[in-house]
Amino acid sequence: MSWDQLSPLGLDLLLAGGILLLLLADMIFPRLGRGNAKLTAAILAAVLAASFAVDTSGSTIGGAYVGGTWPLLFKRIFLIAGIIATLGSSAHVERCYPMRQGEYYLLLLFSLLGMTLLAGTQDLILLLVCFELMSLPLAVLAAFDKNDRDSGEQRTPEGALKFYLVGITSTAITLLGISLLFGMAQTTNIAQLGAADPTPLSTLGMLLVLSGLGFKIGVVPFHMWVPDTYQGSGTPFVSLLSVAPKLAGFAVFSLLFLQGLGGWSHDWVPAIAALSLVTILVGNLLALPQTNVKRLLAFSGVAQIGYMLMAFASANAEGLGVLLFYAAGYTVTNMGAFLIVQAVAAAGGDDSIDSFDGLAQRAPGLALSMLLFLLSLAGIPFVVGFWGKLYVFIAAWNAGLGWLVVVGAVLAVVALFYYLQVARAMYIHPAREQRRVAVSRSLQLAIIICIAFVVGMGVWPNPFVEATSEAARHFFAIIDASASSSH
Amino acid sequence: MSGLLLSSVVAMPFIAALILLFVPDRNRLGVRIISPLGAGYSLLASGLVALRYDVAVGGFQLAETHALVPSFGIAFRFAVDGWGVSLLLLTGLVIVAGVLASWTLDDRSKNFFITLLVLVTGVFGVFVSQDLFVFFLFYEIAVLPMYLLIGIWGSSHAVTEAGPFKFVWRLFDIGGREYAAMKLTLMLLVGSAFIIAVMLAMYLATGAGSFDMQVLGAFDYDRSLQMWCFPLLWLGFGALAGVFPFHTWSPDGHASAPTAVSMLHAGVLMKLGAFGIMRVGFMMLPEGAVAWAPLVGCVAVVNIVYGALSAMSQRDLKYVVAYSSVSHMGVVMLGAATLTVEGWNGAVYQMFAHGLMTGLFFALVGLVYGCAHTRHMPSMGGFGLRMPGVATFFTLACLSSLGLPGTAGFVAEILVFIGAWKSLHPWWAIPGILGAFITAVYVLRAARRIFWGEGPAEEFHDLSDAKGVEWGALVILGGCIVLFGFMPSLILDFINRVTPDHLAVLTRLMEPR
Repeated sequence: MSWDQLSPLGLDLLLAGGILLLLLADMIFPRLGRGNAKLTAAILAAVLAASFAVDTSGSTIGGAYVGGTWPLLFKRIFLIAGIIATLGSSAHVERCYPMRQGEYYLLLLFSLLGMTLLAGTQDLILLLVCFELMSLPLAVLAAFDKNDRDSGEQRTPEGALKFYLVGITSTAITLLGISLLFGMAQTTNIAQLGAADPTPLSTLGMLLVLSGLGFKIGVVPFHMWVPDTYQGSGTPFVSLLSVAPKLAGFAVFSLLFLQGLGGWSHDWVPAIAALSLVTILVGNLLALPQTNVKRLLAFSGVAQIGYMLMAFASANAEGLGVLLFYAAGYTVTNMGAFLIVQAVAAAGGDDSIDSFDGLAQRAPGLALSMLLFLLSLAGIPFVVGFWGKLYVFIAAWNAGLGWLVVVGAVLAVVALFYYLQVARAMYIHPAREQRRVAVSRSLQLAIIICIAFVVGMGVWPNPFVEATSEAARHFFAIIDASASSSH
Repeated sequence: MSGLLLSSVVAMPFIAALILLFVPDRNRLGVRIISPLGAGYSLLASGLVALRYDVAVGGFQLAETHALVPSFGIAFRFAVDGWGVSLLLLTGLVIVAGVLASWTLDDRSKNFFITLLVLVTGVFGVFVSQDLFVFFLFYEIAVLPMYLLIGIWGSSHAVTEAGPFKFVWRLFDIGGREYAAMKLTLMLLVGSAFIIAVMLAMYLATGAGSFDMQVLGAFDYDRSLQMWCFPLLWLGFGALAGVFPFHTWSPDGHASAPTAVSMLHAGVLMKLGAFGIMRVGFMMLPEGAVAWAPLVGCVAVVNIVYGALSAMSQRDLKYVVAYSSVSHMGVVMLGAATLTVEGWNGAVYQMFAHGLMTGLFFALVGLVYGCAHTRHMPSMGGFGLRMPGVATFFTLACLSSLGLPGTAGFVAEILVFIGAWKSLHPWWAIPGILGAFITAVYVLRAARRIFWGEGPAEEFHDLSDAKGVEWGALVILGGCIVLFGFMPSLILDFINRVTPDHLAVLTRLMEPR
């Protein structure tokens, strides 16, 4: 097999090489310390840079893996998210678990490798392997804070255990569903999953897959683990956990439902639309009474997933492109918001809304950034979230889901209420202490990257819209190609 | 430069805000120089726009286009017609006066001016946008900073809790500035949700893939679409225009807001709502407009009378002025609903006149409150001895408010009432004139209560007249009220040039077939 044939996997192989490098560095220089973070960021940045230089089109491993703009977009988003998370974690990791820095970044990279591989898979087994490669390191990372003396309560073990148990249970459910689908279709090739007409058994399989994946991305009614895990785990890690696995989940959704079961869309579109409705409704309403910012962002994140599901329910290239744009914007926005929670908590506060009191006087830059992130989450013009919501509404409206658009638009106003609670604390309430907030350089850099994307995509969304819709069109081209080759 | 004149009007306040961002907090003088410069440029450039606008030609002029999202047909399409010219001038006058009136603000003044300038960018943007989407974007920019402006720099007033729902008042801190800020923001954003729904419906119905208002306006929409879109737009923009019963944010918001914000909000922002209804609702959905105009007019009449009666029963000075705004915005909506040339001219002229007048009112109330430290009218009295200048200007504003000939308010109201009389529903003129009468009662009563009578009580020992630049604000606004009262044609020529064209489609629809 020559190098050319492996080109769709080139970036992932590069990342795997980077992981080996980090592993070696950690073993040879046990006192590498903060260097681990720098090395990790450098590896990710190198892979990201390579993604602009290397041609990754084509398919490999006998058609089980494809390259091109569709997987490439996912890879880039995951790499950027990885860079932000690494920079944001650096100070926290150094302070809280100085002896385990290497492990932390290794697990992070392994998880990212699983994610970057996902979108290009065309085979069920490969898909599951990648998905678990992503999930298992995340479960370990969720428990990383267990020795943190700061949290006197037993939140970390509880949250991590919930995450782990829910994770393996949902994997089991997904596997059961996939095995039923496999039993009907007699192939592990995703493209041919839905070739046969649906039977009751395969419909059951489809629903099982839907609920298994629903757990993973935290769709109501499978969302219970989300706030507890977010609250218990280290905040920089949560910033990644709150976005990247969700996007990966949508990659799997696209592969299984749009490509595999695309022919049965009249069966699953109503189910997805209903899930979207309850997710938006419950996520927004449960966020209202929260007093802890991490829990508030957790429930708001649940609601945001609902909006992405709304786009997915359009079940066409337009909706998918919109979903990708929304998810990309959500990634930088939500990561930024969590990182600011981290900055405030690291400066002597905690995760409660009260610790944001008077932030505008103590740290104007942080407060302004947080305000922008909150406005973006709420969908206010000139930050990226607005375009995301708008495009989602247009796509859903075009797909005949007008009723869902109305509910979504009304609840977006409800959401503004709880986002403004944080803004109110920052800008209107007086500061409880006058100490300035010290933020580490790397965390500052991470927040600046997020702000740059949030404002850049908000002011000039066009290139990003074109990139995401190009990726979505490419995905549908893959579907057409695989459909015509199987006949 | 002439090609970018309108952009520069819109952009300059924003650029000033950006520059302020980098001025250190301690540098008060820098802040106080840059903000009036940013606002002043926009006023001068608006004046230049008025000079450049060729009344003989009419229509939309000074057009410029800058692409924003080509794939959705969204672009910064700027152009002004006669209405736009007059409202640009109004915005420029009020913001300059507002900045001057807030000259003495000390608490986080830099942030205050940044937020204020961002807000006014949005206002200018709305008046020049010829792209529905950009129109909406600027509308949002104009609305959202209000939350911070009221929440941070606002004042809470003591509400007398009464009635069986006392506990609700305490629960939500009714009358508090945070309550007012949240109420205003949420109500206006629900309105925005309606607007955006209609906007998308219109965009998708034309299928032209463009948000250009010329394209959207030229399309002949289905009657059924117009029938449900128009009321949604009316409610959406109406929330900001203070249309009954969605006006309740306005007294709370205006009373809690700091002086410059009340001036700008009551003076200009509420006009955005009315302007939106006329520009998008009436002009782009004519069939819906003709069908719904009777309701719009009836509700406007309710606004006039109900607002005036509410103003009469207030004891808090700011609430009086705020309710009078609700009443006067009813005059604007009534003018729009008449669907006559006089009515529409009057509506736009009332926007202009009321903007000046209410801006002056709020500036004066701010001055009185600044010295007296109370807004409770029954405890005031005899202030005129200590603050003769303020008393004079207050009386002037009162006279314009009740529509005395020789003030701008008279021209506007007489036009609207003529329009109402000529419309299909002549009876509208009667409650309209009744409202003007009640207005006379409550504004004159307020003026007497505050400024006349025996000298002020002991507790008001530090009363003093306006100082320094504060005079600037009063003279600009007061002078314009008189100027445009005696020479209405200065503005009316611009307005009247385009009104018949804007009204043409509606007139055709109303002719008996």
